[in-house]
Amino acid sequence: MTDLTLLISELILAGMALALILVARRTQKTPVAAVGTVFAALAAALTSAWILSGGSGTGFGGMIIVDGYSQFFKVLIAATLALVTLLSVRSLEEIPRGEYHALLLLAATGMMLAVSAHDLLPLYLGLELMTLCSYILVGIRIAKPTSNEAAVKYFLLGSFASALLVYGISLTYGATGTTDFTAIASALSGAGQGRNVLLLLAIGLVAAGLAFKIAAVPLHAWAPDAYEGASAPVAAFLAAGSKAVGLAALGRVCLVAYGSETQLLSLILAGFAGLSIIVGSIIALSQTDMKRMLAYSSISHAGYALLGLIAGTPEGTSATMMYAFFYVFMTLGTFGVVIALGERGEKLDGYRGLAAQRAGTALLMLIFLMSLTGIPPTAGFAAKFVVILSVVRSGHIALAVLAVACSVVSAFFYMRVAVFMYMNEPQEPAPSRFPVALSAALAVAALVTLIGGISPGSLAAWAVSP
Amino acid sequence: MTAYPVLTTTTFLPLAGAALIMLLGSDRVVRWAALATTVATFAASLPLYVRFDKGLTALQFVESAEWIPSMDIAYGMGVDGISLPFIFLATLLSVLCIGASWSAIRTRVREFYAALLVAETAMIGLFAASNLFLFFIFWELMLVPVFLLIGVWGGPGRVYAAVKFLIFTLSGSVLMLVGMIAIYRTCGTLDFMGLAHARASLQHGQQAWLFAAFLAAFAVKVPMFPVHTWLPNAHTEAPTAGSVILAGILLKMGAYGFLRVSLPILPQGVQLFLKPMLIVSAVAIVWGAYVTLVQTDVKRLIAFSSVSHMGFVTLGIFTLNRSGVEGAILQMINHGIISAALFLCVGMIYERTHTREIKDYGGVGKIAPVYSTLLALFCLAAAGTPGLNSFVGEFLIIGGAFKTQAWLGGMAVWGVALGTAYLIWLYYRVVMGETNSRLVGLKLELNAREVATLAPLALLALCLGLYPECVLSYLRAPVAQLLAPGVTP
Repeated sequence: MTDLTLLISELILAGMALALILVARRTQKTPVAAVGTVFAALAAALTSAWILSGGSGTGFGGMIIVDGYSQFFKVLIAATLALVTLLSVRSLEEIPRGEYHALLLLAATGMMLAVSAHDLLPLYLGLELMTLCSYILVGIRIAKPTSNEAAVKYFLLGSFASALLVYGISLTYGATGTTDFTAIASALSGAGQGRNVLLLLAIGLVAAGLAFKIAAVPLHAWAPDAYEGASAPVAAFLAAGSKAVGLAALGRVCLVAYGSETQLLSLILAGFAGLSIIVGSIIALSQTDMKRMLAYSSISHAGYALLGLIAGTPEGTSATMMYAFFYVFMTLGTFGVVIALGERGEKLDGYRGLAAQRAGTALLMLIFLMSLTGIPPTAGFAAKFVVILSVVRSGHIALAVLAVACSVVSAFFYMRVAVFMYMNEPQEPAPSRFPVALSAALAVAALVTLIGGISPGSLAAWAVSP
Repeated sequence: MTAYPVLTTTTFLPLAGAALIMLLGSDRVVRWAALATTVATFAASLPLYVRFDKGLTALQFVESAEWIPSMDIAYGMGVDGISLPFIFLATLLSVLCIGASWSAIRTRVREFYAALLVAETAMIGLFAASNLFLFFIFWELMLVPVFLLIGVWGGPGRVYAAVKFLIFTLSGSVLMLVGMIAIYRTCGTLDFMGLAHARASLQHGQQAWLFAAFLAAFAVKVPMFPVHTWLPNAHTEAPTAGSVILAGILLKMGAYGFLRVSLPILPQGVQLFLKPMLIVSAVAIVWGAYVTLVQTDVKRLIAFSSVSHMGFVTLGIFTLNRSGVEGAILQMINHGIISAALFLCVGMIYERTHTREIKDYGGVGKIAPVYSTLLALFCLAAAGTPGLNSFVGEFLIIGGAFKTQAWLGGMAVWGVALGTAYLIWLYYRVVMGETNSRLVGLKLELNAREVATLAPLALLALCLGLYPECVLSYLRAPVAQLLAPGVTP
């Protein structure tokens, strides 16, 4: 296996991105860009799975790794990309199509690179590629002041977080003399139990830099503004993709590179998780803008997903992988309904009486909301079950109780949407028919959400930690 | 056993019916399809009663299939003598719910029956589950359909009632989730039979907090004093079918949880919490009865009477002697029959008068003799008149209570006396006396469909009153097993 074959999925996406930019002028009014992106995403997913059949391997001097863990997330990223592209079909009027899709593709390339990284430098490279594209995607609706404001806020805070990450990487290099994950691990275990302040700082900074990507408290402040200002499909892309990649990176870094510092890591992660769960679910209560509410919901979900990593065990990491997987589909589904309803879907009041007008859409939304709350038989319950199992296994009973208590709080704001949909009279005319692409994306998300809830075992076999 | 999966068929037939109904068009077809589904479900459950062996303590009609192999969680179904009567009750009440909603539900008919059928699947599945994981899944599956039933088709205060119901029950059940996970971690299994053997690995202190975690879920559902406050709202605002499901089955789920989880798996936890449980039950009986006395709304009155009656049930369970526990289970069935019947009666007359205030009624007996006769039967049954079903259950529970502590028996007797008072007084105000001027000209008498809906319950009330053995014979072996090792002091 040559080095380049390891990156074939990334190459497909990057190649398609470049091709789309080349033909951007000619394809402005056509669906070429969207179709190309979906095909590239599917090809990337297939090749990711296919590469793995040849066994795992490393390349580029040990900087890039292909294993079950990386390919699991690559398939997830490709699915996110495909679904977001399908969800975007309505919101392409006022933006340059070729560039929009090229940016999505490049961001996904960065994500894939990050989950395949076996060294802090390619990890940083991948994450930066993702984030830089995201800044532009958030601000791509040039005519909208809110969009610009969101992009600037996101950029400033994102740069700060990137600085933290780079600082952490450099301190790690200073303490261990390497940036390779395995080499870091052996340097740390060789160093014995002697506490090294430099190292503590390094781990804390790297964790903080990655926590920003998943919008964990206290590095969450960008999410509500960015989601609100961005178009709904971009917000969905950030909520699903950025979170999955941040979790993947945290999982590998915590388990492989800094694996010997279990105590410190579980302390840091438990702090992030607990705070995210509390802050996310409580502040979401007072939101009236749907995208802002989903931003806070995504913050609390970041906390739940982190619960799996606290234990620092392969089982725990598998739990987080399952959480990330199911979360991506349920959150894309929820955003899908928001997008499908257009302007109406972006404010909470717009959901009043939806069930009377569009029973099917309301039912889909109800399924996604149940999943986000964690009510069986949806995937959200399976996800919550595995992470709480993992946190109970690691002995943090109090954290488990806190997590479930906050899931009751979250039921307030998720089910408020259900109350609006089912128990109020409609105030706005019924929404127009959805494009086929949107319906297809919603159907896929709903199917995964339901099948994942009924038969979570089918995924568990794939969620193998590094 | 049998190759034909009776329990799975019975459980998931309503779900299939719900899916089918979502595809149907006209309201008329939907009603008939829903009725056909519930009747078919009832018919599908009949082999259970024919082939059940009352002498066995183990679960019967066991079905098992691999489900989540990586976590060693299986799909398992099975019933014993305790759960079988509840499956009967759930399948029967579902048929009657369709009958009661026939003309009462006029808006969004399709969704109504779909929600009702999903709730039926959850009810049957809960009593048929043979492991804790599946039990929890069905427990939670019940939540959303009932939330919608109350919130969409309920009375004026329906949204508040629905949200309150959802939040109360969810708060309880998430703690059960943590408890379940902790049990799984320590014992390595969630199968009820396996857990009864593996419970030795649960430490004393751990049992205490596990009992508390499960108590949170069960106490809200029962509901026990002081977490009963969701009940009056939910029962009052729900449409008739919703009230019937709530009173008939949902309240039994909590008490069933005590019998299925707390008593067999956490005996030391039960011992630790025994006193508080008994006191809270006694308070619920007497306090609930006093609160019932002062209600001015018929539906609210019956709802509050459930608090008092379910107090009897928890009292019986925690006496931990044979008489008390058998009486409690019998009383759960009785209460399921009677409160369902009373809610049906109230719903039927509300459909005509559109008022639930007691002061708006009076002299109904002169206009609607058949209705008044049936109502009299159910009121007497609820009050514990000898010859009708509640008498036997209450008698057994009070007997059990006197064996445990004399003052508990005293409280229970006091509760029975108050129960007679509020029911007879209700009957007096609604049926007797001069006809209220508001009722003149209304056609209050029941039609054939409504009589047919109430008749099975009236017959059951009589049968169980005259020959309680038909339920008690099922309970003997499993209750003896339940109380045999380590549970009784």
